Amino acid sequence: MNSATDAFVLKGAHVIDSAQDIDRVADVHVADGRIAFVGSRDTAPGAKIVDVSGQYLSAGWVDIHVHAYGTLGFANPDSVGVYQGVTSFIDAGGPGIGVLDQFMELLGDLETSLYAGAFIRPMGLLGLNFIEGNVRTLGEVPITRWVDFAKEHRDMLRYIKCNAIGDYGPGTLKLTKGLAEILDLPLYMHIGEFQMQKPEHLLAPEAFRIAEAGDMITHLYHGNLGRVLDNSGKVLPVVRDAERRGVIFDLGFGGYNFSWDVAEQAFAQDLVPHTISSDLQQFNVVRPVKSLANVMSAMLRLGMTLKDVVDRVTCAPAKAVRLEDRAGSLKPGLPADITVFRVDAGEYEITDCYTKVRKADKAIVPVITFKGGRRFDADLAIAQQESNWFLQIAEDHVPAAASEFSERQRAFLAALAAVLSTTSWELASAERLDIEKALELQQTFHEVRAKQGLPLKDALRAVYGSFLDQSFTMQIGLLLLRLEQPFAVARLREVSGERSMAA
Amino acid sequence: MADNHGTQDPDPTARQAAGDAQTIERPWHVLTGLRLEESKYPARASLDGEGIVVLRTRSGLRGVQRSCPHMQGTMMNAELIANDTMVRCPLHVFTFRLSDGKGVNCPGFRIRIYEIKEENGAFYGRSVS
Repeated sequence: MNSATDAFVLKGAHVIDSAQDIDRVADVHVADGRIAFVGSRDTAPGAKIVDVSGQYLSAGWVDIHVHAYGTLGFANPDSVGVYQGVTSFIDAGGPGIGVLDQFMELLGDLETSLYAGAFIRPMGLLGLNFIEGNVRTLGEVPITRWVDFAKEHRDMLRYIKCNAIGDYGPGTLKLTKGLAEILDLPLYMHIGEFQMQKPEHLLAPEAFRIAEAGDMITHLYHGNLGRVLDNSGKVLPVVRDAERRGVIFDLGFGGYNFSWDVAEQAFAQDLVPHTISSDLQQFNVVRPVKSLANVMSAMLRLGMTLKDVVDRVTCAPAKAVRLEDRAGSLKPGLPADITVFRVDAGEYEITDCYTKVRKADKAIVPVITFKGGRRFDADLAIAQQESNWFLQIAEDHVPAAASEFSERQRAFLAALAAVLSTTSWELASAERLDIEKALELQQTFHEVRAKQGLPLKDALRAVYGSFLDQSFTMQIGLLLLRLEQPFAVARLREVSGERSMAA
Repeated sequence: MADNHGTQDPDPTARQAAGDAQTIERPWHVLTGLRLEESKYPARASLDGEGIVVLRTRSGLRGVQRSCPHMQGTMMNAELIANDTMVRCPLHVFTFRLSDGKGVNCPGFRIRIYEIKEENGAFYGRSVS
């Protein structure tokens, strides 16, 4: 792996960078971790040559819809980042204002640049039983905290997300729009699946009405209730109106929200996503999403040109989420975020979320990613490893991480066990998720941590490491709600060493 | 593939029976639709009016409800993992314990599980919970 300060030249690839009107074979010169120049020029003395001839090259891909954090996230989020050609991604709703501190502490040192598409619900996406539509799960929307957070961490926030589902009409969409306006951020609305909920109000058309220029709607080609087509397959007028106003349509493939039938009918009427995103998460990385590259291949199969596909994972998303100062192009001076990829010819099958399959004769395959000039060889298998996406509580053994805990972490866990032993909670079920209890448990965690004077990251790692073999990260209140109270207390005591001391 | 699953008891029947000794014995029902010479599993069968899917695990036959409680994916395509102690719906990788049906990576969900036994050339099944 080269260091970020090396000078090198990527030679001979077909470069696509629409922000600079480049679509030809050209050399890309990199120095000090930044793009120096694209085109023919004498190579700087000492610069390494990397032969990438016969391949394609673009700015590093930007995926504006992944799930890195929370109950949908990955043990190793870089597995769907730099190891898949993606140099910047946005967590679409994992954190809300109540857990953004946890999110930043835990995921601040990824190789891939991670940003928050924060959720209107303070707890962020719940994901435990998918009862996301109940308006009561919003709890309170603390405007002051949002404003203060945005002042301090402006750079982290890229949009405010809500779901166009729920049984209380479009009020939550308008609430989220209001918050996004206060924070001067785009609004990002999910119009896709309902999971277990029975929709009484169809909010997807409302999402298209509420969205303004620069706001985004994701899952454009979903095939559930509230799709973009009417019963005869024609694109709805409300969708066209939004498109004319400058609303940005995002693909958001996901595990439930891409239908070949809808995509083909809409594409034939020139309803095309402005940005291509994956919605990668624990429950769809094996199938059908696999990788952003697979989603890009699906768009090729749909009929988009390669240039149109590449634009939609580079300059278009960078513009949509205001990252043009650092991503989405190979302009001189920008960070050397670069993806080298192939377009293989062969016989492929691309499955949608409804088990429909299309045969394809091309597949986009990332080969090398450069992040700020550092090289990562693409490896699509890392994301597929079961340990990366299969989150299970280590019920019958103490995870290895617990043996590395510091004395302060053990003292914290003992104190936490003592407080938790005086309360009780009901496990999350398909019918019920006690969000207020999750908030209370989270509050308890913070109070004990503050009393012990333990840094947030150390406290979070201590709790995760007591119950999880892999480094998944999630809202601490929701993790506790997965555990039976007696088990949780006993395990915390065991890990803290209290039991052995008592013995 | 199946890394880090822990070491659950692959045949929880005995443990289950011991734990249930003080409760009312759950009745066995005749399992229909499954043939003794059945060689292809998973196989469909019926138990007390309910369609179930019978899996062949390393420790014998085990029944599960016919579709995943999440998005109704058919359990005929389910995958046995973790030394045959768990079953996984291929649609969204929702994974359940074969001992009691509890969702492993989907704690809000649970699947119905059935013990299966063969006696004198006939199959019988009963719910484990």
